[in-house]
Amino acid sequence: MALTKRNLLGLAMSGWFALTLGAAAKPLDGVTLNVASQNDQFAAVMAKLAPQFKDETGATVKVDILDYGSLLTKTTADFIAHSGGYDVITTDIVWAGQLAANDSTVELRPLIKRDSKEIDVDDIYPVLMKSLGNYGGKQVSFPFAGYANVLAYRTDLYKAAGLKPPSTMEELVADAYKLTDPAKKQYGFVANGQKGPAVAQDWMQYNAEMGGSILNAAGKPALNSAANIKSLTVYRDLFQKAAPPGAADYDWGGREESFRQGLSANMQTWSVGAPGYYDPKMSKIVGEVGIEVAPRGAGLPKVYGVGGWGLAINADSKHKEAAWTFIKWITSKKVHKQMNMMGAGSFLRKSELRDPELNAKFPFLPVIAESFEHGDGDYRPRIPEYPRIQDILGTAVNAVLVGNTDPKSALDEAQKAAEKLF
Amino acid sequence: MRRALDWARRLFLLALLAFFLAPFLWLATTAYKPSSAIFSIPPRLTFTPTLDQFRNAFAVFDVPSLVESSLLIAGFSTLLSLVIGVPAGYALARSESRLAMAVAYGFMGVRMIPAVAALIPFYLMMRDLHLLGSWVGVVLINAVLNSAFVTWMMFSYFRGLPKELEEAALTDGCTPFGAFYKVALPAARSGIIASALFCTLFAWNDFLFPMFLTRLDSKPISVALLSAYGTKDITWGTLGALAHVSTIPIVLIVLWLNRYFVQGVARGVH
Amino acid sequence: MAAPAALYVLAFGVYPLLRGVGYSLYDYNLLAPRRTHFVGFGNYADLLGDPEMRRALLNTALFTVSAVTVELGLGFLIALALWRDDRFNRICLTLILIPVTITPLAVGLIFKGLLLADYGLVGYWLAQWGISPRGLFASTATALPTLVFVDVWEWTPLTALILLAGLKALPTDLLEAAAVDGATALRRLRQIVLPLMLPAILLALTLRTIDAFRVFDIVFVATAGGPGDATTTLMLLAVKDGLSFFDIGRASAIANAMLLCIAAIAAVYIVLIRGADRRANGR
Repeated sequence: MALTKRNLLGLAMSGWFALTLGAAAKPLDGVTLNVASQNDQFAAVMAKLAPQFKDETGATVKVDILDYGSLLTKTTADFIAHSGGYDVITTDIVWAGQLAANDSTVELRPLIKRDSKEIDVDDIYPVLMKSLGNYGGKQVSFPFAGYANVLAYRTDLYKAAGLKPPSTMEELVADAYKLTDPAKKQYGFVANGQKGPAVAQDWMQYNAEMGGSILNAAGKPALNSAANIKSLTVYRDLFQKAAPPGAADYDWGGREESFRQGLSANMQTWSVGAPGYYDPKMSKIVGEVGIEVAPRGAGLPKVYGVGGWGLAINADSKHKEAAWTFIKWITSKKVHKQMNMMGAGSFLRKSELRDPELNAKFPFLPVIAESFEHGDGDYRPRIPEYPRIQDILGTAVNAVLVGNTDPKSALDEAQKAAEKLF
Repeated sequence: MRRALDWARRLFLLALLAFFLAPFLWLATTAYKPSSAIFSIPPRLTFTPTLDQFRNAFAVFDVPSLVESSLLIAGFSTLLSLVIGVPAGYALARSESRLAMAVAYGFMGVRMIPAVAALIPFYLMMRDLHLLGSWVGVVLINAVLNSAFVTWMMFSYFRGLPKELEEAALTDGCTPFGAFYKVALPAARSGIIASALFCTLFAWNDFLFPMFLTRLDSKPISVALLSAYGTKDITWGTLGALAHVSTIPIVLIVLWLNRYFVQGVARGVH
Repeated sequence: MAAPAALYVLAFGVYPLLRGVGYSLYDYNLLAPRRTHFVGFGNYADLLGDPEMRRALLNTALFTVSAVTVELGLGFLIALALWRDDRFNRICLTLILIPVTITPLAVGLIFKGLLLADYGLVGYWLAQWGISPRGLFASTATALPTLVFVDVWEWTPLTALILLAGLKALPTDLLEAAAVDGATALRRLRQIVLPLMLPAILLALTLRTIDAFRVFDIVFVATAGGPGDATTTLMLLAVKDGLSFFDIGRASAIANAMLLCIAAIAAVYIVLIRGADRRANGR
């Protein structure tokens, strides 16, 4: 057994409880579930709800809050070494392909089928059920926190310029230029520019909205298609003429801060950050923010980018049934609503997006509902090769933004590198 | 003239102090600012203090446990490194063999291993020893690099110490170990403290090994600092609050030991 | 008495390292274990042909040379200023060591936050005055020098400390005699101080070179290797390959190549240390 500091104390405590409260034995008494969680807003809320789960079932839930890199590294090491260190793991939308390829997590279809009534599967948006954990027919993870890509914009600036919020990509680009006035430290646009996942993910979003695509119809990379080169050119021009000067080194944190500081008039972002814009402790633009569905290129089908996190059970866990109980519990209508009341910003169910209490607190929920109704979780291809493709694009796009190369040659080179992966 | 020079020297040092402390102070003050005041346009130095960031940090992290793990890891890896490194350095320093020098530098070579090279094999090893998730694994790997460094450092240190006292002890009927334990070790006190400080600094700040090898119960503060750096946002205030906890103990240790440290290195380099 | 240390280091350090050397000869990805096969020196050949690797080697070398040079130079000046043993200096020494005690990752974040062109405390004014309109980390020309600056900030105090220890070990009688003989300060420095300080200088040089060559944390958080590939370092690539793509074969190959580079540099230093040692101690 591993040497952990609190095991002994824990044992002693549970023994004591067993003696004194023997009558009120609960189904999962004595079980400890280790949860590895991404450090998003839901993490702290999950940790706060853990005692409530213990009250109801008897199981102790320990939430290990990790940054993205550590989460990926540690859980992968856990899988390949079959060490079973974590029972439940939050999984990013784009990991599904890798998890499925190695059968690292428990296939959930039989469990979902068995408990479908309890779960009320029809209340969960189909796009989330599919993209947050279904790959190649396997359900490797259960949807937990759906994020919609939305447009956040400054109502005051739009009003002052006599503009209406954009509904197409072309309008957004035009508005971005109109609303840029460097003399007043006001910029029409902001997106991630930093090399790596940051710039790759944001550009893929814009690329899809302008009609580009990472893979072709046959599922092979098509990075240097005409549509992609065009969208990258538009993206670069926006960076050079309509974005805050430092944006080429922005990651998500830098981008969000620039919007909360009031530098940028438009920002496409994950809906999870939206509650922060309304919070005077965090934001300088409270009362001046509008949230709308993300724009699309004129004439393109109205679909919206979807991302977020699922909950998976480690195939090596010794408490699979207890882990499943926890997943069902935290995604249940009651607890998931409670989570969002506490500011998790992680939506999943149709019922919660219609819930009057939540709507009173967060005015932008109809936008998220609309995005989930017509959601697209595959604009970032959820294939096993995704991390490498993201890395290649992360370097190529950043090099274009800082003027080291032009869109066509950057994407030609990226395509050559990507083809080697297949 | 002399006085003027002395003032110039002090001014130079004060300017340097400002240079070395200001960035740290900026991070430390973020812990007392509401999130919206950490940045502003144009940047402002004044703010209304709040303890919210500490409350947040303590709500998300089990701070006492983080500090406890950090202390355990730093303490035991330093201890282990000294227990095996100091005698090794002594033996090599007193060895007549020409090989001793090569071995000593071989130890220095171990200190150069890039962490990634050994990380996965070491991880699998710890799994087989059932030490994954425990701070013991971190101590074991930290002590590899540190004991190698201690061996090398104490090797140079003991070579700078005269042999005569130990030889006298040996002729008085002391065993070689007795000569080391009763004579050489006390004489090397400041060198040992200097080595200890290097080990502690290294183990306290290292995050790659503990990130990989620990779990929630054994997570040290350096790893928790990393998770304040989320992908969607950087929680500067939490980072600032945790930076207090991660810096104050080590500064106290440095404060306590730095006098010996200077003496120790001073002998060690000759 | 060296046996326990040797055994320990062999078991927990050299053995995993050798396993790593073994991995570097395979196409071995933890996420595709079924694909594993022997490729000999294939991974190494790939590295040599990869322009990103060559750029990373160049960046790493530039970073190491400039950071270590400045850290030693500035560190020596600080050590000279702190030489005299008085209360003021003792307090200074302790306070000046604070950067060394901060986790490098946090150091990277501090400077990233300070230097943001749009709202960073320092970056804002640099942009306002036209010195660096896009931010020091966001332009190709300044990103690497800025990282050097950050490394200098964090580690100069340590080199100053080591060099100060070297100064304190100098025989004072020799210096006083030289002063009485009327040797100028500069001559005393060149002819007495520097030669006797060589072992301390080389200790600082070796330690800093080893660590600067493996720089990762500050780069990872401040620039992630960008803009373009202006700050991509070897360790950044090794960590990316090993810990995000789990391409253990390739990551091990990079790590081993790095170890060879560091060992080669260290070998040069060791020759210097031994030479200096012999002269200084008359051995």
